[in-house]
Amino acid sequence: MKEIPISKRNLIIAVILAVVIAVGILVIENWPHRTEQGTAVSTNEDNLVPAAAVNAIEKVFQVNYQERKEAWLERICELSTPAGCDLFSAGADRMWEKYVEAKSVVTAASQTVEKVADNGSEQVWRMTITLSSPLPGSNKTQDTAYVVLAKTESGWKFDRFLMEAEINAILAREKTPTTTVEEGKK
Amino acid sequence: MKRIFLIIVVLSLLIPSAVYAQGNDPWSEVFQPDGNLNPDLIDLGVTTDHPDWMSIELPFGQSLELDANYHRYQTPRGNIVVLPSASTLFFMAMNPQESGLTSSYGSLGNGYGSLISFLGLAAGDNLDWSRVHAEHPEYTSPDQFWGAVLNGHQDVWTYFSGWGFITTLLQMTWNDGALRSLYLLYLNGSQNCAAIPGGCSGIVTPPPLPRECPDPTVSMQQPVLVIQKIAPNNPLVVGQDTENRRGADIQVRVTVPPVIFTWYEPIYEERDVCRSANSGETANCNTGSGSAVNDGVSDTEMVFKECRTHVEHLPDAVASLQATAALDAASQDWITGRLGQTHYEAFVHQANFALIPGIGSWTGGCDGGGTCTATGQALRVPFADPGTFNLRMDVVTTGTRFRGVPITQPRRVGIDGTMQVFVALPALVP
Repeated sequence: MKEIPISKRNLIIAVILAVVIAVGILVIENWPHRTEQGTAVSTNEDNLVPAAAVNAIEKVFQVNYQERKEAWLERICELSTPAGCDLFSAGADRMWEKYVEAKSVVTAASQTVEKVADNGSEQVWRMTITLSSPLPGSNKTQDTAYVVLAKTESGWKFDRFLMEAEINAILAREKTPTTTVEEGKK
Repeated sequence: MKRIFLIIVVLSLLIPSAVYAQGNDPWSEVFQPDGNLNPDLIDLGVTTDHPDWMSIELPFGQSLELDANYHRYQTPRGNIVVLPSASTLFFMAMNPQESGLTSSYGSLGNGYGSLISFLGLAAGDNLDWSRVHAEHPEYTSPDQFWGAVLNGHQDVWTYFSGWGFITTLLQMTWNDGALRSLYLLYLNGSQNCAAIPGGCSGIVTPPPLPRECPDPTVSMQQPVLVIQKIAPNNPLVVGQDTENRRGADIQVRVTVPPVIFTWYEPIYEERDVCRSANSGETANCNTGSGSAVNDGVSDTEMVFKECRTHVEHLPDAVASLQATAALDAASQDWITGRLGQTHYEAFVHQANFALIPGIGSWTGGCDGGGTCTATGQALRVPFADPGTFNLRMDVVTTGTRFRGVPITQPRRVGIDGTMQVFVALPALVP
């Protein structure tokens, strides 16, 4: 057997190196988790919801009659909750027929104006939408929308547009001095 | 799990129907004492409608038009029983006036008990009850609040603090069409069409009845519809059949059994009688009222003898027939996706065909027994895309009349089918 002489100094250096490497690995592994649970990410999430709303709304009003209705719905559904996708798909037949009849080719840009309600798992946002040209049935190229977004396992998703009665209720609430942005039971 | 629980509880709301069989009110002809539906009811089938109160307005004047969906029955007296789907019922409850909910006999005769239970289950968790209590301390229970909503005294939308439940409810209904929780009753049937959810489609309208005989009855069977490809066995896309461009032949067939209308004619017979003599008439018989001399005049009168049964086989002819074919979404995706990977720029040539009227036409008629048929063919339909085509046929009947009186309203029925169109793809064989 061949003996390899190691000095005491080298041994200490080797142990220190091993400890530093182990600590380094632990820090790298835990770092992202701590960040996700931190308050900085909460701010990120606040940004994610309006971004999701903008993306979804622009897809809804991005219309090209030359493509298939299914392709249009597919784009919308990618950014929607499953139930929101079903709702939109179930009611969209007549709308798409009008787009084809009018040979509509429209793009949309939208912006969030403000969050009008939040119950933790769902948020309602007021948005403005600008179209490149009017859609059939209207001469407007700018309008306001109230949009429900829901938190899902894969992030915030578009659920549906508020109905007229719900919008009226929100507008009526805003006129009263006790209006609150953060509402909800949870 | 919550969804399953909701379904079970909502279905359990049907059980109290047995109480309606008690007493002498219009519900007594809907349910038997054991709570089952009366077998004399005419099943009018499922009717769909696109009411304004079920459309969701979007920006720029756009709207999502949702289907209201009702299963309906007609009672022997002509009243209409309506079972809305869960989502339809929810929207009816949110729009009680416009939807006709408030004009149902059910809302008057039986209260809103079941409907309040339904609303509590469907939407109760999404209301800001603390706000309701703060602003309306007069409602000491959720049921009182829902009652006020259904009576139009309270705007429920003001108090929602959750929104996604509406889409979930709609999705649940679409996934389980049988989820119907409430019976609504509308009196006077066809005389009150505008007030009945779903209108007068298929409703039976019996004529006035003779007093001495039983009510007329109407029975009808559902039409039999067939839409199918008849040739060739394996249709090839016309792009690969450049010589013949054979395409495929589609056939449709509808058989509408006669509406059986049974009515009863009062038969009278002439009978000799001795009636009291009028002034100026000469008495020639005794009326038997105790007079010793003649005090009456011989005459005849019509006396009810019996009811004669008439069974009419009324033809319900086909008034319009439409057939279409549409390439399904999966096939379109396959063409532009997988096929497109191996065959550059593969695209969908024509996804939709108007078969009848359009490529083909239909003819129809009725035989002496009242059975009406209609057949049609769309020959050599030039399918240019491979995949599954969804076939659809929609038929509207004329309704039936007897001696100029409407007996049944026009019916709308439809059927779906599928057919395959093939494409030959080259393959490398090692």
